[in-house]
Amino acid sequence: MEKKTNRWGWAFLILASAMIMLFSFYPMFSALMTSFKTGSSANMKYADPIWKNFLRMFKDRMFMTTLKNTFLYLIIQVPIMLVLAMLLAQLLNNQHLKFRGLFRTCIFLPCAISLVSYSLIFRSLFATQGLINSVLMGLGFIEENINWLGTTSTARGVIIFALVWRWTGYNMVFYLAGLQNLDYQVYEAAQIDGANGWHTFWHITVPQLRPVIIMTSIMSINGTLQLFDESVNLTAGGPASTTMTMSHYIYNTAFGTGTANFGYASAMSFLVLVMVAILAFINLKVGDRRD
Amino acid sequence: MKKIFAMLLVLTMVFSLMAMSGSAYADDANKLTVMAWDANFNIPALEAAAAAYQKVNPDFELEIIQQPGSTEVEQAVTLAASSGDLSTLPDITLFQDHAIQKFVRDYPDAWNTLEGADINWDDFGAEKLSYSTFDGVHYGAPVDNGTAIFAYRTDILEQCGYTVEDVTGITWDRWLEIGREVKEKTGFALLSMDHNGNDLPYMMMQAEGLSQFVDGKPDFANESLKKIIEVIVQGAQDGSIILANNWSEYTDSTIVGDQVAGVMNGNWIIPTISLVEANSGKWALTTLPTINGGEGYAANGGSSLYITGNCQKVDLAREFLAYTFGGGEGAIETYDNALLNGGVITTCISAGSSDVYMEGFDFFGGQAIYADIVAMGANVPVIEQNDFHYQARTYIGNAITNIINGGEVEAELQYAQELLEFEMDI
Repeated sequence: MEKKTNRWGWAFLILASAMIMLFSFYPMFSALMTSFKTGSSANMKYADPIWKNFLRMFKDRMFMTTLKNTFLYLIIQVPIMLVLAMLLAQLLNNQHLKFRGLFRTCIFLPCAISLVSYSLIFRSLFATQGLINSVLMGLGFIEENINWLGTTSTARGVIIFALVWRWTGYNMVFYLAGLQNLDYQVYEAAQIDGANGWHTFWHITVPQLRPVIIMTSIMSINGTLQLFDESVNLTAGGPASTTMTMSHYIYNTAFGTGTANFGYASAMSFLVLVMVAILAFINLKVGDRRD
Repeated sequence: MKKIFAMLLVLTMVFSLMAMSGSAYADDANKLTVMAWDANFNIPALEAAAAAYQKVNPDFELEIIQQPGSTEVEQAVTLAASSGDLSTLPDITLFQDHAIQKFVRDYPDAWNTLEGADINWDDFGAEKLSYSTFDGVHYGAPVDNGTAIFAYRTDILEQCGYTVEDVTGITWDRWLEIGREVKEKTGFALLSMDHNGNDLPYMMMQAEGLSQFVDGKPDFANESLKKIIEVIVQGAQDGSIILANNWSEYTDSTIVGDQVAGVMNGNWIIPTISLVEANSGKWALTTLPTINGGEGYAANGGSSLYITGNCQKVDLAREFLAYTFGGGEGAIETYDNALLNGGVITTCISAGSSDVYMEGFDFFGGQAIYADIVAMGANVPVIEQNDFHYQARTYIGNAITNIINGGEVEAELQYAQELLEFEMDI
């Protein structure tokens, strides 16, 4: 009996492994091979020297610009978003709060919207003749329309704002789930001891949520380093490529405006992979307090 | 367990059936497939050509595979040629003039030439053919004419005491003066452009008879280019040129939103101008200003039809293209209906003299705009084309943004040239 179950176990395992091999590992390997090649995609040859594409990256000032842009988003947006998500989770975890379900749904709702559609909506909101300018003008805050997407600082600001709007609710759900597992009595005890909301947040919620915080930060770092839709649809990388992300530049190199430089695009993708791996590793090491 | 395996089996079968039906193009001897974009422009032209050719070949059938835009067509060719399996391509495809050079060079097997087709090439504008000819071999049958026009609002010019003649053949410096006056007196800008992929520098350079490339290398240190960039930057700072952030802002907000008294682009922009019916009769078309004065001619963004490497009926495809778009007996009928149904203007000189072309349009104050555009098209200078046309646009557009933000013209152009040279690997 046991033998039979084992055989079936292996059968299922082999099927799943074969699929992963075929659809995940083989393309990865193939992309690695492509990253060593140059030339038109119909007739690719191994580069001479073989690491030509990888050397090229470090001399490519456009790539360096997109790298800086991406890290700027990462450094500003991820902390704002995670702290905000935690605060919201803490507020919504209050058992005496009325309409909790409604608030949770409202905050989570942006995540249900397609990345492309929300980017396009933000683009029209922040257009020079768009709603935001009309409202600000009507309220008398500004005298002349602001060219939000045509100025580097405001365009970056709009992207960060859009990202926070889109992803805060998503992270909040993880924190809420984490908080549900904490004993609510701890909070009541803290309250009796005279701790205010701020104290409870920093000294009770944050330490207990550590594993969830590590997970959400790894996911956010990973997501931000691969940021694509907002850069393409909201600002199209403009003005003067100052809001373009690495993934957008990689896409442009492979499929945009007829370059079709697949070898170089693959090489850059591998650098992104290495960066995600390193940051995730650091994050795990810093966050792990076990001896 | 058996149930699961049965389900897996069924799923596999469904998938393979789906895969099979995907690539099945009919192989009827009188049927051609063509891939194209724009239901309001290119598709009516292709339908007109099919109808014209059916008169001599009643069994002929043209199946049009519509794509959302030119990018999707480019991606379909990239995919087919990269994978080495051309069977996913149609017999004929429409392709952008500015992009074709790179695609023929990268994927020579993906195309068939038009050699042996009965086409009198002298009957076409030389500039148009310069895109689709490789080492003297013709690959493309021209469809539309990308001749650039400068449309002005006559009523607004009048308020400042100008007529269309006053803005024809002037220098860009004079244009800037008029632009400032128009902005001051009426609040209208005199020009707008989609600054993401800025078309202005290319057209303004072509009007000077110059290219951004010399002998295959970018030439951004050129004095004329420097002057042109200065004009654009000055215009943007005066408020007489609006640099929109994207295409929809350019068309919907600046042109349809009635913020500009002038539009300069390929003549395919005319349907956009015509969307504002309230301004009917208030527009007029003329040529471009130039640096030293004199009428400027340029072209921007046309396309042509190419026979793909997958075509099994090359003779039929050549005959069809020669008879219709190639200036054969069906050309007048094709181009007349293409113009009437899609606003597609020909580069075929003999077809451009039909009665339909001579008609005046009330929207443009009775001006016979199509005849005028065909005449302008014959004057467009041939300039050097390059595979990196769009990258050059992007980097020069970026340079303009940086200069407006306080950068220095020569340094920014130098930087743009370095970036482009890096991308071109030279």
